[in-house]
Amino acid sequence: MAAFCSALCSAFPFLTQSEFEGACQDLADRCTSAQHIEWSAIRLLTKPNGTSLRITKRVDVPSPLEAPALDLEESQEDEDPEALVRAKPQPSLQIDYDILLSPTYQVPVLYFGLRWHNHGPLGLDDVYQYVVPEQYRQQLKSVGVMGGISMGYHPDSDAPAFFVHPCNTADAMASIADAQSVTPGSYLLIWLGLVGHCVNLHVPRELFA
Amino acid sequence: MENRVSLGSIQKAVWDGRLPLEIVLASSESRTFDKTDPYLISYPRISYLPSLLPKLRAFFSNFLIDPNSQSHDGWFEFEGVPLKWHYPVGLLFDLYAGIDPASKTAARDNESPDEGSSLPWRLVVHFNDWPHDLVRLDADGMVMNDAFINSVKEADFLRNGTAKGIMSLSKEDSSGLWNAVQEGTILTPKNTVDLLSFQRISNILLPQLSQPFRNVPIRIFLPLLPDAESSSLKVVQSPLSPSIPASSMQSSQMLSSRSGSTLQPQTVGSVLHTLLPNLFPSRRTPVLAKPVLHGAVIPMSAPIEEVVRSSAYGDGWAYIVVRMMG
Repeated sequence: MAAFCSALCSAFPFLTQSEFEGACQDLADRCTSAQHIEWSAIRLLTKPNGTSLRITKRVDVPSPLEAPALDLEESQEDEDPEALVRAKPQPSLQIDYDILLSPTYQVPVLYFGLRWHNHGPLGLDDVYQYVVPEQYRQQLKSVGVMGGISMGYHPDSDAPAFFVHPCNTADAMASIADAQSVTPGSYLLIWLGLVGHCVNLHVPRELFA
Repeated sequence: MENRVSLGSIQKAVWDGRLPLEIVLASSESRTFDKTDPYLISYPRISYLPSLLPKLRAFFSNFLIDPNSQSHDGWFEFEGVPLKWHYPVGLLFDLYAGIDPASKTAARDNESPDEGSSLPWRLVVHFNDWPHDLVRLDADGMVMNDAFINSVKEADFLRNGTAKGIMSLSKEDSSGLWNAVQEGTILTPKNTVDLLSFQRISNILLPQLSQPFRNVPIRIFLPLLPDAESSSLKVVQSPLSPSIPASSMQSSQMLSSRSGSTLQPQTVGSVLHTLLPNLFPSRRTPVLAKPVLHGAVIPMSAPIEEVVRSSAYGDGWAYIVVRMMG
């Protein structure tokens, strides 16, 4: 494993299937050994058409969908003196990020889906409101037909999912990573830093410890 | 090769290809239940179903139980299966309709008896209860346009190895490509798909004939299992080079590569045999299954780059459907 991880990327700025799988395994291992990561789960999924890495994250945001129910609950508890000191429960939004290797572009591609607790999948407006950090919204919305985030079908589940356009990834990787020193493991971390931040997926500091 | 037809004439035939559709309103959404008149249209195979929605919404407006539904709430179903709108209707037909594809060997007067009863293709349109397994449409048609352009980009990247071509396309040409594959809409009134505009714009993207593709954009759709729980499609995609090293058995039709070793064009048969050896034990003869494109069986000996140059859908991809024989 150590020998594999120190080998350089053979097709930089692209990744081969086996390099991608090794890098995913490596990242999953590092997360398991690191403590206090903000991700609630990271899992390596092995499917007939390739490996993928699923990172699950929960974000506490006020949900407009559940707001009326919360108000009702509060008014019922008005007479309970302890209710005043109890913090209002924040419903959590679950984001499932899946990292796959694009069979077309030969680079990692980030698919994601979001769900409120007890609620179905949400739309692109919700993505910009709850997932994309404010400083990236304008920039992301201005690319392509409808922005840097598209809706499509998840390659594994065939269910509707969002994805970040992978068509510029190879050029971007070529301009920031050094072909003479980049390994599949460091490629994946650099890529995650490049693509993840615009959809609120940050590389945990603990991984570099 | 006898009767060598030009790539252009095949492309014209593909773009002229039409399917008779008979579209009925879902009986649960109709005030007359199943007594609503059907909408009949001869529709280009390379076009996409949602482009029909404004006409269908207007046609069925007096029958709708829910008068507030909008045209972009519309989705299509065939025998209980919600149809993925981002695939051209010709591909959906080849996948689901179950009609025997046309082939060179089948005599014209010897058509299978069920062909007459399976056409027109009967679809059901809904304007309520959007199925959870379909990507939602939007009022401005941006989601559909975006899906098409993403597909165009992928094909372009495979052909050239970069996405620079499509990125450098002007906004007019980029939307021109999308308009070309649509029959008239409210925004682009016209009577048919527009091959000439399409050719002008796609010539900017396509490598010259003298310059081979880097990879050939082909997706292969596996046969659907009749009693499968989910309607999800199994699609095979792999980087496909237009030429492969010549085997000693096939010394004819060899090309010389720059490095001096001999190459031969990669054929449909060699791709299917390599990717799906169980379904295609031979690279020359279909034994268990046959490849179908635009409603016709394509020859195993056809070079894949020629297939894509002549017979790709409007997004630049050849979508080959694998049909079991017998």
